[in-house]
Amino acid sequence: MWMFLVTEVLFFGGLFAAYSIYRMWYPVEFEFASSFMNIKLALINTVLLITSSLTMTLAIRSAKLGDRSGLYRNLLLTFALGASFMVIKGFEYAHDFHEGILPGAGSFGGEIRSTAEAQDLDTGKVRLFLVFYFIMTGIHGVHIIIGLGCILWLVQQTYANRIPPENYSTVEVVSLYWHLVDVIWLFLMPLLYLAGAHLSHH
Amino acid sequence: MAHSHHSTAHNSHSDLGEVDSPSTLITVYVIILALLAATVLISMSGSLGRYTLFAQLAISSIQATIVGCYFMHLRHSDRVVTLTALASVFWLFILFVLFMSDYMTRHMVVSG
Repeated sequence: MWMFLVTEVLFFGGLFAAYSIYRMWYPVEFEFASSFMNIKLALINTVLLITSSLTMTLAIRSAKLGDRSGLYRNLLLTFALGASFMVIKGFEYAHDFHEGILPGAGSFGGEIRSTAEAQDLDTGKVRLFLVFYFIMTGIHGVHIIIGLGCILWLVQQTYANRIPPENYSTVEVVSLYWHLVDVIWLFLMPLLYLAGAHLSHH
Repeated sequence: MAHSHHSTAHNSHSDLGEVDSPSTLITVYVIILALLAATVLISMSGSLGRYTLFAQLAISSIQATIVGCYFMHLRHSDRVVTLTALASVFWLFILFVLFMSDYMTRHMVVSG
């Protein structure tokens, strides 16, 4: 499982590498675009994910101790927290679509466009940040959805009484994946949402 | 290593050897949240200027290390597992060193 996690780290590493280069080249536009991100929703989402990591770890603990109802409860809590993350993400994307915070040349508009033009910024570079924002959060979201599927499977396994204490590693493997996705978010949060926090327009 | 001694100190079920008490996990959780608050406050105030990005990444790295050691149980792990985890950081380091050495030195090359 750890070998798989290494490949995941390097997969996201490529995205972070590309982001780093463009942020180095276009720092002003990137920080400007980032200042239009919704920090409040991102903060709530970060807390949700960190909490879900805690409940996931408590689920392993329950599995090791043979506490089936505890395992059940912690898995369902983790699922609920992860699902809430995706729901909030959905509202965030909806808001972005509504406000024209989009990378496409035609769909890019609203306040972010007028402000960028007023400040004489290259809108292409501003839109490039939005490309990174949607690709990185999008791929991260796909990982969350896969993780949620695995957690549901664990719930079913628990229900079928297939996770005795000696099989706790089944929970552990899913949890490793879940924590990794959480850790990736801990880097996405400052790079995408907080890069322009000091400029805040809201 | 010193880790094994450390783990028994927090153990409520010494027969299982590797079970952290909920209070340990909740303490770790609160520390990660506190670091999150710190990174948000630093970013919004902008008081660190050009060092903000450095502070943000340092805080994220500390958070990641804590998640790795406590939630991903690296501090109870075999050495091979720890090495595998560290290998990902090492390869990431190689990736960044190699492309950065390209992109950060391009302006030094006189095009002709």
